[in-house]
Amino acid sequence: MNFYITYFIIAIGLFGFSALFALFGVYAERKVSAFIQDRLGPTETGKYGSLQTFADILKMLQKELITPAAADKILFILAPGIIFVAVYLGFAALPWGPGLVPANLNLGLYYIFAIISIETLGILMAGWGSNNKYSILGAMRSAAQIISYEIPAGFAIISVVMIAQTLNLQTISAQQGILSTEVVKFSGFWDVTHIGGFFAWNVFRAPHLLIVFVIYFIASLAESNRAPFDIPEAESELVAGFHTEYTGLRFALVFLAEYSMMFLVSMVAVILFLGAWNTPLPNIGPVHLANWTTNAVWGIVWVTIKTLTLVGIQMWIRWTLPRFRVDQLMTLCWKVLTPLAFACMLISGIWRLWLM
Amino acid sequence: MSLAQILFYLMAFIAIGSAVFVAGTKNLVRSIFMFFITLFALAGLYVLALADFVAITQIVIYVGGILVLILFAFMLSGKETLNAIGEQKSKFININKLPAMLLAGLFLIVLVNMILKVDANNLEWVKKSIVRNNMILPNSSMTEGIGINLMTQYLLPFEAISVLLMIALIGSAHLSRKGKGA
Repeated sequence: MNFYITYFIIAIGLFGFSALFALFGVYAERKVSAFIQDRLGPTETGKYGSLQTFADILKMLQKELITPAAADKILFILAPGIIFVAVYLGFAALPWGPGLVPANLNLGLYYIFAIISIETLGILMAGWGSNNKYSILGAMRSAAQIISYEIPAGFAIISVVMIAQTLNLQTISAQQGILSTEVVKFSGFWDVTHIGGFFAWNVFRAPHLLIVFVIYFIASLAESNRAPFDIPEAESELVAGFHTEYTGLRFALVFLAEYSMMFLVSMVAVILFLGAWNTPLPNIGPVHLANWTTNAVWGIVWVTIKTLTLVGIQMWIRWTLPRFRVDQLMTLCWKVLTPLAFACMLISGIWRLWLM
Repeated sequence: MSLAQILFYLMAFIAIGSAVFVAGTKNLVRSIFMFFITLFALAGLYVLALADFVAITQIVIYVGGILVLILFAFMLSGKETLNAIGEQKSKFININKLPAMLLAGLFLIVLVNMILKVDANNLEWVKKSIVRNNMILPNSSMTEGIGINLMTQYLLPFEAISVLLMIALIGSAHLSRKGKGA
């Protein structure tokens, strides 16, 4: 029975991690936005305002949970839970280091792709349950956007899977470093199996995978409803989109889901393209940097650093680019990203058959 | 009872209970969200049967695709229309429901007949497969098997379905294109 207790501890640990990350993420977002807009951001609570988000969450916990009189009560109350659980379930299959993975699924990547699509249902539930025109408009925009951008994201994932030949996230991770059991080639010509480092990462394994990475990153921005794809919660048109009517703890849960989603999609990008828990330092001659920095502890460090870097880029983009109009959004998805991703998938097939 | 059996009965109960709610309720939107639970319980049953690929595909296609499409149709049709449907007065036994009841009754007879006739514990083809060692173990990977079979033994049905889907896609694109001269 011991391993059941381990499962519970891991599950609670992952929940605690996502909650802590959301607290940290909100603070970082405020500071980054302040820096970009030449402001100071939170300064009063704690040193450099570092306790601001703790104060915010304390305030939210005390607030009254208001349910609108005309709302569909059951759907309205359940929706934030479903939105968060959908994202939280995805964390189960993510590998953190060599041998460190909560659930080593054969279909890990496919599972995460499926779980992310459940969030759409929670958003539609929130929009409908609120019985408010802004909420429902926001929910419909969000669903349309997520479904559309799942297509380029899916093709991007397939391009990588065709090269890696597996859906197991732990195997995909192991292929991108010195622990690989097969020959890893930098851009298809230079054998880097024993050199490792960033040369062995999937982005550099074939030239077109760099484009695939960019496609996946753009699509993942849209899937987590982040600017420049944040028309579902466009505050100048829709108040706050699907979470207009939520207060207190339920609102906090929606925010927790958004930040967990940012982390989840960034971590999937890191696992698929940026070497997962593998070190960026290569073996140079007698200096075996890669051998020294590849183990479980370093794995957690590397995967966290890489993922937080991607989350930082997401924030940077949010505060730099203006919001897309809905027709521009759909044009980008269907006329640019989807054909490009499809072409990359074809190249992946040819690459695997003739060049590897 | 083993854990697998407990899980089976739990998920079967959830699937049947939520399916009865889906069929019985007059609140259409809630019935769609209940259908989501039915599909999830079914996915759990597939996992118990070692068909994890089928389970995840079911979630991607039904939950991520079809349910969301149905919800879109509901949300575009407005609340008054939905309320009008919900307030229709109809008895449980009604002459208008005759075809549906006939179908359901016939299907029940088929199912009961099958359950009574089949001897699930010693099926001929299951025994043969065990002898030939042609079976799936909990730790084996299914994706390769599905891919190889789709590209060899079942290539013709696979291609036929893809042509059918292509026709549906072109047809829907044509219908939605109501512009000049069409």
